[in-house]
Amino acid sequence: MAAREIKSNIYTVGAIDWDRRLFDALIPLPDGTSYNSYLIKGSEKTALIDTVDPTMEDILINHLNQLGVENINYVVAHHAEQDHSGALPKVLEKYPQAKVIATPKCKGMLIDLLTIPEKRFITVDDKETISLGDRALEFIHAPWVHWPETMLTYLREEGLLFSCDLFGSHLATNDLYVTDEGQVYEAAKRYYAEIMMPFRTSIEKHLEKIKDYQIDTIAPSHGPIYDNPSFILNAYRSWVFDEPKNIVVLPYISMHGSTHRMVGYLVEALTQRGVTVKQFDLTATDIGKLAIALVDAATIIIGTPTVLAGPHPIVIYAAFLANALRPKLKFISIIGSYGWGGRAVEQLAGVIPNLKAELLEPVLCKGVPKEDDFKALDSLATTIAEKHKEHNFA
Amino acid sequence: MAAKYECSVCGYVYDPERGDPDGDIAPVIPFEKLPVDWVCPIYRASKDDFKKEG
Repeated sequence: MAAREIKSNIYTVGAIDWDRRLFDALIPLPDGTSYNSYLIKGSEKTALIDTVDPTMEDILINHLNQLGVENINYVVAHHAEQDHSGALPKVLEKYPQAKVIATPKCKGMLIDLLTIPEKRFITVDDKETISLGDRALEFIHAPWVHWPETMLTYLREEGLLFSCDLFGSHLATNDLYVTDEGQVYEAAKRYYAEIMMPFRTSIEKHLEKIKDYQIDTIAPSHGPIYDNPSFILNAYRSWVFDEPKNIVVLPYISMHGSTHRMVGYLVEALTQRGVTVKQFDLTATDIGKLAIALVDAATIIIGTPTVLAGPHPIVIYAAFLANALRPKLKFISIIGSYGWGGRAVEQLAGVIPNLKAELLEPVLCKGVPKEDDFKALDSLATTIAEKHKEHNFA
Repeated sequence: MAAKYECSVCGYVYDPERGDPDGDIAPVIPFEKLPVDWVCPIYRASKDDFKKEG
């Protein structure tokens, strides 16, 4: 794919990673991803915005060669993570005059991670500007989306916000701009859920901060560019600010069928009471789908059998992730079957201290579920429906 | 009793009753009296990132 011009003298020079299926050795990438890098040729100075994952650095260099870029004055490093800064050493080697523009914190991290010499840096304060001649870059510090060193760059003359990971989506596409909003919504929500949700309070501040900027285009560091920024801004506002919805997320494991029967019964009981349920068999769940469901859910019910005297280890894994993602959940409970004893509830509670949700009476049954257990599940479903209604979770 | 403060980044709660042993902060030091360069012991967020609990 060749470098392409997105606005006058602004080019996209990054790489599309169609085939990558896993990020951080953790996050599934069903649609691949892209590492977006942008070149701005000002009348006096040239700036490169971010680089690419080091596995694709040759693609970036080829794009710069195609455009005949002989000199780069500034490389803006929004974020020290490898997928955006990993090709910095190669770019700095090719352009020995280039200076890296970064926040003071990012500078320290790039020295730690990539051993870039200190003399190559220019650090910038929040809202500081650097002129390229006919246009200027304004840097907006945006810590904790999703690392502490992150910043964004605003190009006032174009109403263009380079937003780094904020508003991004793991989506490999050769469309420069969003063409299929449904597809991008799901990819951006997955990205938000997995990467951004733990930092919701910081995002609130950043959304407030950029409100006063005239933004006509958002160019993120992953996925297509937004030429209709209100699409993604409204989506973020809803994910960050809205009350949770009338939704129960129900991740579970069942070894011999008892917990599965309880899950099936509870789903039916909740359905009868008008509550939306999202059920996930954790042996086969894409954890990104689970994370997406947690963005809007009011309640999580964890279904687990007791094994090795505690919850199933795969349930512990999912609960640990849910705890780390810090969704808006208001209520939580546990259901499941045990054979003779164990400490499933206590152990599960121990891995979810961040979920400041009200614990609803767990339903644990010995062996297969019986009449009393089904009654208890009915009662749990009624409590959930009532609680959701009390809070006007629609 | 002095107020607790929660880190909006990681959820850590600064409890003046306990102080921050990792940061050499003795018990009974109220949040407001922590040094300006004090950081969250978990994720190293700054004091600005803390919110009063309750």
